[in-house]
Amino acid sequence: MTPTTEQGVIEAIQAAHDASEPLAIAGRNSKQGLLRPVQAARTLSTAGLTGITLYSPSELIISARAGTTLAEIEAEVAARGQHLVAEPPDFTALFGQVQPQTIGGIVASNLSGPRRIAWGAMRDHVMGVRAVNGTGESIRSGGRVLKNVTGLDLCKLLTGSHGTLAVLTEITLKVAPAPEQRATLVLRNLAPEQAVAALSAALGSPYAVSGATHLPAAQASFIPGLGPTPATLIRLEDFAPSIAYRSERLRTDLAPFGPVEILDDAQSRLAWTAIRDCAPFAGMQGAIWRVSVRPSRGPQVAATLEQAFGAAWFLDWGGGLVWIAGPATTEAHNAVAAAAQAHGGTHTLFRAPETLLAAVAVIPPEPAALATIAARVKAAFDPRGILNPGRMRAGE
Amino acid sequence: MLPQPAPKPDILARRDEIVAGLRALLPDDAVIGDALRLKPYETDGLSAYREVPLAVALPSTTEQVAAIMEFCHREGVRVVPRGAGTSLSGGALPMADSVVLGLMRMNRITEIDYADRLAVVQAGVTNIGITQAVAGQGFFYAPDPSSQLACMIGGNVNMNSGGAHCLRYGVTANNLLGLKLVTVEGEILEIGGAHLDSAGYDWLGLLTGSEGQLAIVTEVTVRILRAAEGARAMLAAFRSNEVAGACVDSIIGSGIIPVALEFMDRPAIHACEAFANAGYPLDAEAMLIIEVEGSTEEQDFLLDRLKAICAQHDPISLKVSTSAEESLAIWKGRKGAFGAVGRISPDYMCMDGTIPTSQLPHVLRRIGEMSADYNLQVANIFHAGDGNLHPLIMFDANDPSSFAKAEKFGADILTLCVEVGGCLTGEHGVGVEKRDLMNVQFTEIELDQQRRIKSAFDPGWLLNANKVFPLKGLAAE
Amino acid sequence: MQTTFSEAQLRDPDTAESNKQLRTCVHCGFCTATCPTFVLLGDELDSPRGRIYLIKDMLESGRPATEEVVRHVDRCLSCLSCMSTCPSGVNYMHLVDHARHYIEDTYQRPWHERLLRNALALILPHPNRLRATLMAASATRPLAGLIPGDGMFQKRLRALFKLAPRTIPAPSPLEGPRTHTATTEKKARVALLAGCAQQVLDPAINEATIRLLTRMGTEVVVAKGAGCCGALTHHMGHHDPAMASAAANIEAWHQELETQGLDAIIINTSGCGTTVKDYGHMFRTTPFAEKARKISALAMDITEYLAKSNYTPTREPPGLTVAYHSACSLQHGQKITAQPKQLLQKAGFKVVEPIEPHLCCGSAGTYNILQPDISTRLRARKLENLKATKPDLIAAGNIGCLTQLAGDTLPTIHTIQLLDWMAGGPKPAGAP
Repeated sequence: MTPTTEQGVIEAIQAAHDASEPLAIAGRNSKQGLLRPVQAARTLSTAGLTGITLYSPSELIISARAGTTLAEIEAEVAARGQHLVAEPPDFTALFGQVQPQTIGGIVASNLSGPRRIAWGAMRDHVMGVRAVNGTGESIRSGGRVLKNVTGLDLCKLLTGSHGTLAVLTEITLKVAPAPEQRATLVLRNLAPEQAVAALSAALGSPYAVSGATHLPAAQASFIPGLGPTPATLIRLEDFAPSIAYRSERLRTDLAPFGPVEILDDAQSRLAWTAIRDCAPFAGMQGAIWRVSVRPSRGPQVAATLEQAFGAAWFLDWGGGLVWIAGPATTEAHNAVAAAAQAHGGTHTLFRAPETLLAAVAVIPPEPAALATIAARVKAAFDPRGILNPGRMRAGE
Repeated sequence: MLPQPAPKPDILARRDEIVAGLRALLPDDAVIGDALRLKPYETDGLSAYREVPLAVALPSTTEQVAAIMEFCHREGVRVVPRGAGTSLSGGALPMADSVVLGLMRMNRITEIDYADRLAVVQAGVTNIGITQAVAGQGFFYAPDPSSQLACMIGGNVNMNSGGAHCLRYGVTANNLLGLKLVTVEGEILEIGGAHLDSAGYDWLGLLTGSEGQLAIVTEVTVRILRAAEGARAMLAAFRSNEVAGACVDSIIGSGIIPVALEFMDRPAIHACEAFANAGYPLDAEAMLIIEVEGSTEEQDFLLDRLKAICAQHDPISLKVSTSAEESLAIWKGRKGAFGAVGRISPDYMCMDGTIPTSQLPHVLRRIGEMSADYNLQVANIFHAGDGNLHPLIMFDANDPSSFAKAEKFGADILTLCVEVGGCLTGEHGVGVEKRDLMNVQFTEIELDQQRRIKSAFDPGWLLNANKVFPLKGLAAE
Repeated sequence: MQTTFSEAQLRDPDTAESNKQLRTCVHCGFCTATCPTFVLLGDELDSPRGRIYLIKDMLESGRPATEEVVRHVDRCLSCLSCMSTCPSGVNYMHLVDHARHYIEDTYQRPWHERLLRNALALILPHPNRLRATLMAASATRPLAGLIPGDGMFQKRLRALFKLAPRTIPAPSPLEGPRTHTATTEKKARVALLAGCAQQVLDPAINEATIRLLTRMGTEVVVAKGAGCCGALTHHMGHHDPAMASAAANIEAWHQELETQGLDAIIINTSGCGTTVKDYGHMFRTTPFAEKARKISALAMDITEYLAKSNYTPTREPPGLTVAYHSACSLQHGQKITAQPKQLLQKAGFKVVEPIEPHLCCGSAGTYNILQPDISTRLRARKLENLKATKPDLIAAGNIGCLTQLAGDTLPTIHTIQLLDWMAGGPKPAGAP
């Protein structure tokens, strides 16, 4: 089902609700394969809900229907010198898909790029949503203004809920002026701990670093302009005079970590797009995980998994996001989950064959008291459990 | 005065027993049960609304909070959490049958980690207390509500507090990593942690700004940021609100996001100048405080551009602060604005609606007309970059008709905010003050959706039940 | 804030003034954050806003003060930190003074408390009585350790003993009313509040003041008939003795003003300075009003005066780091913050400031005797903050603070003694 209006979505859900019939919720399927497969005879797609409904550059606000492609939105704001702050990644290649991703999909999965470390996640920039809950009721939260604490914040709850609570039909995002210029400082051949120390120093500097990544040699070779040596990347984005000034200050501050190469604006764009889209793993077979931990623990998680199953990995978010690739086995998955837990973080089995996705906890279970609340919250939106059942956790 | 949920007669009747029950859980000086000493707890920063609670409990640990919640849950006693009591929306207003759970004694900072850029603080640590603790290393905690000197992080989380610098650094929700909570049943839960973006539902996002409806926050993991090399403020004075509003549009449209962009109208300028002696332009109709950050050269670069933009709007004066002291004085006036209005009027009500910034001239004109109609003075202060208005309606609480008029005036302003595409509250929270206006912004279906979420956390509606949601049903209980 | 005083109540000038202050308060709560007792105790009732509320309720009801209200009002240090913080300009000092007076009029304290308070009021403001008492206490100091029990009475007794110095300084040869002529060309004439307790506890402070002023060409008169400023009794709510002390000073100084003229009234104990500057308010409804207003207008802290009088050091800088402790009565009561530090810097000292500079050290007049628990905690916190600045000594402009902070690892010296030393005076006792 691909309704073209919110009313169509309402009717589809009401019918499914009345029939207690589960629905798989999708956009254009660009992230088909993310999280657990949904057992549903029918799919409700938002791909037919298209179009930018409001764009006010001086108010830093853009609204679009959920099925609008991200590309369309990015082009629209770029034409006015603005950008989406959370730098949403494009994982179509990673998931082996061809369809472009939609704004609904990127918000429903709360996916953010390297800029997340400095400027917040996708969820931090969702200012308003319209959605249809599991009984077919239209609900709004937030609005079209930048500051709004009226009522419970369903924008954040629905962002990243993978269509399990309600179907997003329209989204309002905060946008920001795109930087005039970018530059990237590159340190070479650092051991992972040293690399994270360098990233911490940069992120703890007054120079507004907006990207902080470390790639081992094998992964670095997939990033344009780097080549096969371990590379630690620090990005600056701002007005040109600031870029010039801060690059030099950081070069000095980071001298203890070695000499600094600098990638210019064009090189930086290419490099960070590749990092954002997880290019190093795009052609890889097997499973891919993301582990979010305290940044200083990133190298330990990586080392543990390298030892456990020869994991390929790289670090984003200053060390706090560990991308991991390895065999699609339960053992490997359990090792990732254990390492994440041991270091106080969380894991997501990000891409894997359906058999593995269905067999394991793709995200960690919640403590009992919270699981009880979660079940009640799910029922508060979707009492019959028809929206994307089992997408995030089995039985939810 | 808004109606309160009907107190539960059985709870009122068992007052002594409940106080004794709390005393069994806490040290002697941590329970207040006598009428005289309960009185100062009857209100918060919105003193027009008052209700003496059944008792006050002042725990010092998360475990004590859990014990209190477990007890109150078992006994069916309503609970109103309270931090510093600085809420401008009556967020800490008690109910006659409620226990006020004061978290002021939980004021320890338990961890600071500069490498991972975070701090773990108890709910009763003041907002500025976090910044003061990390300032020595050049770090700060970004959200800076005007009451940051006194307000506590637990309250900030529950109200999703903003501040003057959230255009650049975001509001509370954007600066949190984790929470320690006590559920209504008295279970201790931890969500998030030292990492970003936990998998699963965004409990952190839902809890932030939930106004004490869902759980009690006892400990918070916040992100701390390295401060910029320096900051400087500039004052731009204009001949009318319209022109100042147009200037705000030009600034944002130019691609510069100042770290702060504050707007004050004539009455606000005069009140604040009397308090801070910051050199505010007393001849202006409207004034912008524009602040930029960076090295001196970076500041100069941005200020030059900003001066050029302001110059296109026929300013009366443009003044760039020349020293840290001058910038501090400029901010002292702005941050003390609410209290400063107390110098020119015995009482005020501070509204907090947000509007699309393009609607600013229209909204200010309408507020001016309403001010004349109601015959009540109003001073306008607002975070111009994000459209968050703070009209301060001046009235005389000793004159009941004046208060009633002020309430109505406030409701009209907020209704106007919603009409032009904005919302009821940008950062102060709904509290009790805007509770009955929620229908202006939300449909009954939407409110019911939110109520069901509350019920998922708090099935018996024991937590802060007199706030946020129009009473519907609850009053008749 | 809304108030509910009746017309009749408002005819009382003190009530009218309190109503004005209560109406000015918008209940924003900023004051709670900088209040030492709220920071320590975490209870609204021990914050300025909570006390204001209790006072409002007490005054509006017209009921006698109750034990609960008295407990929380008594815990107030009168440090006036809240007044520095208050954006609305509430005069908390006048409000709490009124409350204390009301409490003394309507509340019967337990016998031992009355005994102690009366004893303090009878002894402290009178140098000869205080000296005799201190000598007795000093001789029996070891007995403090033998006082058994943990009750408030016992704690207070122990605190009292602990305050007594081991050796009581001999009376200064400069003590007593007289005129100290300028030793250089006379440029000005000032009266010095010689004070009460200070000249017994540390006569060197007045000596340094007189030396420095006369050396700078200022004639200093210690007026006959002037004595205690009245603050000690005023803060205990003993209205009549406080007014009597104050009236005596006003008369004595006014006499000087009328006969030989005065350019200023110099006070080197900032706690007293706050009160002298408030004489105008205290006497506003009496026939003394005009005289009192004139006297208050002439009152100046010694550092305020020196900052305007071209203080010039003559010695080589001693290379010492001074942690400047800003007495509450100076920084909050009189809003004098920059001058003492600037003068010390000018004198050649490196000046450092502790964190939480706004918090009281716990001395607060007789507070350290009456509220030993809170006072001890505040002292420890202040000393820790001061020591963290790694200074060679602590300077302050108030004898109360100096006594409170003494006896730890760092010497405590009055600002004026350091300034006098660098301008040719003797090295202060205890200076490194």
